[in-house]
Amino acid sequence: MQRILVVLALAILFFSASCEPDPPISCDTCPEEPVDRAISGPSTPLDYSLEVPDYLPAPILDEANPLTVEGIELGRRLFYDKIMGRDSAFACADCHQQDKAFTDGRALAAGIDGRLGTRSTMSIVNLAFNPNGFHWDGAFGKLWEQAIHPVENMLEMDEDWENVLIRLRRSDDYPERFRAAFGISRTSEITQELAVKAIAQFEMTIISADSHFDRVVYQNSEFFTEEEQLGADSLFFVEDVPVGTLHPGCGHCHNAPSFGDNRFKNNGLDAVSSLDDFSDKGLGEVSGSRFDNGKFRTPTLRNIALTAPYMHDGRFATLEEVLDHYAAGGHGVENEDPNITGFSLNDRQKAALLAFLKSLTDESLIEDSRFSSPFE
Amino acid sequence: MKSYFYFLLPLLLLIVSCEDDDDPVSTEAELSIAFRGEFGEDDLAIQSATYDYPTGEQLKVLLFQYYLSDLELLPADGGDAVRLSDIELIRWMSATEGPVATKTYTVPTGDYQGIRFGLGVKPELNAQDPNNSPADGTLNENEFWNASARYVFAKIEANADMEGDGVFDTPLTYHMGSDALYTTITFTQDFSLDGSNDPQLTIISDVLAALSDGNNTFDISDADQQRVHGGNQAIASDIWNRLANQFELEVR
Repeated sequence: MQRILVVLALAILFFSASCEPDPPISCDTCPEEPVDRAISGPSTPLDYSLEVPDYLPAPILDEANPLTVEGIELGRRLFYDKIMGRDSAFACADCHQQDKAFTDGRALAAGIDGRLGTRSTMSIVNLAFNPNGFHWDGAFGKLWEQAIHPVENMLEMDEDWENVLIRLRRSDDYPERFRAAFGISRTSEITQELAVKAIAQFEMTIISADSHFDRVVYQNSEFFTEEEQLGADSLFFVEDVPVGTLHPGCGHCHNAPSFGDNRFKNNGLDAVSSLDDFSDKGLGEVSGSRFDNGKFRTPTLRNIALTAPYMHDGRFATLEEVLDHYAAGGHGVENEDPNITGFSLNDRQKAALLAFLKSLTDESLIEDSRFSSPFE
Repeated sequence: MKSYFYFLLPLLLLIVSCEDDDDPVSTEAELSIAFRGEFGEDDLAIQSATYDYPTGEQLKVLLFQYYLSDLELLPADGGDAVRLSDIELIRWMSATEGPVATKTYTVPTGDYQGIRFGLGVKPELNAQDPNNSPADGTLNENEFWNASARYVFAKIEANADMEGDGVFDTPLTYHMGSDALYTTITFTQDFSLDGSNDPQLTIISDVLAALSDGNNTFDISDADQQRVHGGNQAIASDIWNRLANQFELEVR
């Protein structure tokens, strides 16, 4: 009898707890008003043409999400607005920080309440040139599809999209911006898809192509130092080497001008005894093939000096550690990329390679007001 | 009343027979060309298969790719070749892909006596820089060496077990290309295309045949021959020549 009473009491407690009203949504500027209202204002977005230097390839545009001036501006606001995270307390820009080439300086991404993710924050520059899905493992085919998940991920922004939409619809600013970008007429037409498409439009504009390297090689307005030249010609881009010579040849996978082929490879990080033993399966988790386990995207090296720590799990704190890793030549795992072979690198060569890598920093990117917070 | 019927029936037949029965005879057909990768007698399976090499080692192939330029059908009447494509990149790089890659082209119906293509990137395209190609284009920067060496025409990459210990820890990378290596390959074989019962054309390429033709086997145990990139084209030519000679056309 006593046991029955305890169970009964627990059940009552459970139901009364779940019947409690949801906690109020925190949003200081959100007026309490009906969710659905008519929106007025301009509703004809202007087409936007991406500004791409002629030394870069043509960007890959998404017909399902054409770029517009208003869409990009809306996306920029959403990107920087903490309204997108739980309790209006976390923004995309908290992990993708402009002064770090849109990374966060952490080994593993830290979400709301400092919750650590399982991978390092990726730089989001030059996404307009990526043909191979998005994320470290290519899990998302379209950029805007990728933008859905950080909001929901409990290790990132940990919010329910419905709450985000309520805040956006109640905002005294966003409905007009959504109308201007997508021509909608009522707040109820503000959807998750429109929000992430706007964010993706903004991200597509973040093009980085004005580094010292670009000014030397493509713009002919600067010169390499002797050290940078050695790093470029004899180490990074090297191909024409004597028979049998081992060489870094970073350009195999990180060729100019993109400096990252966006393909998925096992770059020799882990000495697993079986392909099933990778703690993070990477592409294998997406493709379902064990032969893809341990493969991750080859990211761009543009702005690499700003994006430490390195690799998908941020295991290397410095570029010196990265070079040491590649010079060591991997672990002979059967799906390792065969271009990971190891090579010798003396101090002078290492300094030269580092000097060259630092020439890929685009100082204008981190100052560009088009990519900075619109709220500051 | 019955007379109306006899009057109307011929009229109806006349109308029906006067309809435009000129069903347009299709002058075009959809031609699918299958590109099949093999390793010796086996279908090519990236990573998942273990292949015996003639000199005793074992290989796991991770990448096989080649460019084709000016893929053309040769009309039986000796007329101008029908261009299917200026450039194609045929590639096997994933364990989740099968051994056959198929490409489809719209071509004129008719009788043909063969098919022709250039193995590699034809000189006029090889002279272009990758920024002339979209980021997801066939001639993107990922297959480009540099301003002087230009595009990589073909790649074979594998990990080898040299000691027989089951560990595939010896990487092999063979990257080949230069205008001098560009090779035109012509198959002479009659076939007809009418848009209905068209034959299946399959272009077969064999990774093993590119490395070993039975008489000459490329020595993968020589450390100097395990990485053949831009500067080692003298060695690459050896593989290239076998690669260019091993293509087969199957018409069924």
